[in-house]
Amino acid sequence: MPLIRPTRFGRPPQIRKPLSFDSRRKLPRPPTNLQIREISPCRLSDHYHSTLSDNLMYMSYSHKTNPIPSHQREIRLRWDPSNPYSKYRKNPPVGGSQWSKIPSPPITPSTIPKLLSIQLHIMSKDALISRSNLLGVIAALRALSGESSSLSSKSINGVEIIRGKKQVGGWIRQGMPAGAKVTLKGPPMYDLISTLSEFVLPRLRDFNGFPIPPTTSSHTSYLPSSANAVKPSDVTGVVSFGLPPAAMAFWPQIEVNQDAYPKMYGMHVHFITDAVGLGAQERARALVSGFQIPFVRMS
Amino acid sequence: MSSRNFISLCRRKPSVFSRAFATVTESSSTPTQYPIPPQNARVKPKLLTSIILNRAPILTPTPTPFERAYYAYQARLRRALFNPFPYDFYFKQGSILEHRFTLEERKRERIAFGREFGVADELDKEKAAANKAAVEQLAEQEGESEEMMPRIHPSDDARDYKSLDRKGKRNLYLLLQENEGIWRFPEGIVKKGELLHQAAQRDLLAECGEYMDTWIVSRNPIGHYRPPKKAPSSSKPQPEEVAFFYKAHIMAGQARPNPETVKDFAWLTKQEIESRVPEYYWHGIKDMLSEH
Repeated sequence: MPLIRPTRFGRPPQIRKPLSFDSRRKLPRPPTNLQIREISPCRLSDHYHSTLSDNLMYMSYSHKTNPIPSHQREIRLRWDPSNPYSKYRKNPPVGGSQWSKIPSPPITPSTIPKLLSIQLHIMSKDALISRSNLLGVIAALRALSGESSSLSSKSINGVEIIRGKKQVGGWIRQGMPAGAKVTLKGPPMYDLISTLSEFVLPRLRDFNGFPIPPTTSSHTSYLPSSANAVKPSDVTGVVSFGLPPAAMAFWPQIEVNQDAYPKMYGMHVHFITDAVGLGAQERARALVSGFQIPFVRMS
Repeated sequence: MSSRNFISLCRRKPSVFSRAFATVTESSSTPTQYPIPPQNARVKPKLLTSIILNRAPILTPTPTPFERAYYAYQARLRRALFNPFPYDFYFKQGSILEHRFTLEERKRERIAFGREFGVADELDKEKAAANKAAVEQLAEQEGESEEMMPRIHPSDDARDYKSLDRKGKRNLYLLLQENEGIWRFPEGIVKKGELLHQAAQRDLLAECGEYMDTWIVSRNPIGHYRPPKKAPSSSKPQPEEVAFFYKAHIMAGQARPNPETVKDFAWLTKQEIESRVPEYYWHGIKDMLSEH
């Protein structure tokens, strides 16, 4: 195989007109909206497209010769759409939208679950005492994700401060900064997965896998065990788990200068997939476990 | 679903049954119409399970020259726009590690933007030379002259079709050669009352030996195939054969096929399979194999 030579670039075009100046940032404003895309082939993304997507389709394929009956119940008649009076009026079904009973779409090559993004979320109770205690959290998230707090790209928000939504006595105050989060998409997301599964999880003590929560319907529940999608998280295809504070020291980005951080933080990791409908969380978990993140069923 | 249910399904709705299973791509657009064996209601079809044992790619595909240029451009753009690196947060000032990082960073700057960039601006030349010598000594101690492994394995050059390390960028599939010389996937007969996926597991062990670690992906077959009907040897009607395919992955070990029935085995890509198997068989299986 020939040695790969670095790509050679020609001369840049001559600047005829000076760029306009952004006085707030004290930087010249680029003439186009610059977006940085992939800078290298992505191993886990290739793995998804070459192996994982096929396997997920075979695993979740359901063989039905009859067409799936529509779950829409026509109790209340639809407004006549040709009538201009009722054309844009709301006509909700009786009994609500029934989000917990929507069946998942039949699996086809175009409906295989995909990983959309990963969110890391750290809450620090110390931040309620003094806002400066949030600096360690922000620094840790910046080191983990490689994002800064504000970026030129519109789709990525960088490290965001989380404020309390409600007043809960002894826990959180409304409007006060309580933590930080970062959302990763594309190649940085896959880099984070490989770091997590190759550096962090193998070094955790007494770790067999993230526990799968037990099914919600027990023998005391009046619901049948097949219709136990009663939590919104069961039908939205988001897989979440927590990492203890001890796990923070195993990330290589933090390990190199662990002393620079005031303390080690635990965090929540959310894998956001596009699986929807009944059983979406199981399909999302199958996808995430395909990236070598272990799960164990609690008995 | 048990084999009995499958047979009854087959009798009730033959047209639905023949197109109902998931295949990798939309199939059944064969160039020529092959004769479909006539349905014989009296004789039960003989069920077979066949395993497509897959070794997933172990290398990323080699980028094309266009992709390389695109990645280089994006990397250059990122280097031009990224936030300044916080040296004092990560390195003790004046440490050897910091000097090493600075030298490497200058080299990367020169590669990205040209010779005018990444030039040292040291005032004290003696001190700079001493730092460089210290960095070189550190590299010697750490043994940084480790070479990366080549992307082409020796088994590729040697045309060793039995090696699991060959063709690292492609999906490989296990093919067996019968004593009569015909190549096929590992297969076996479903026993009475046995479930299809259980039969697949048993047949894989029986044909390929127990010296490998495998995982059958799903309980659903990924496709099916009807062999051409043999000429009837007697007046008794021959049962029709239907083979159901299961996808499996090999995790460790190597196939050791039963020498009584199998002459040879090979790990092959999709294109290599086409040149070995009979044409009728190829049109039955090609849509179950990955192009990657």
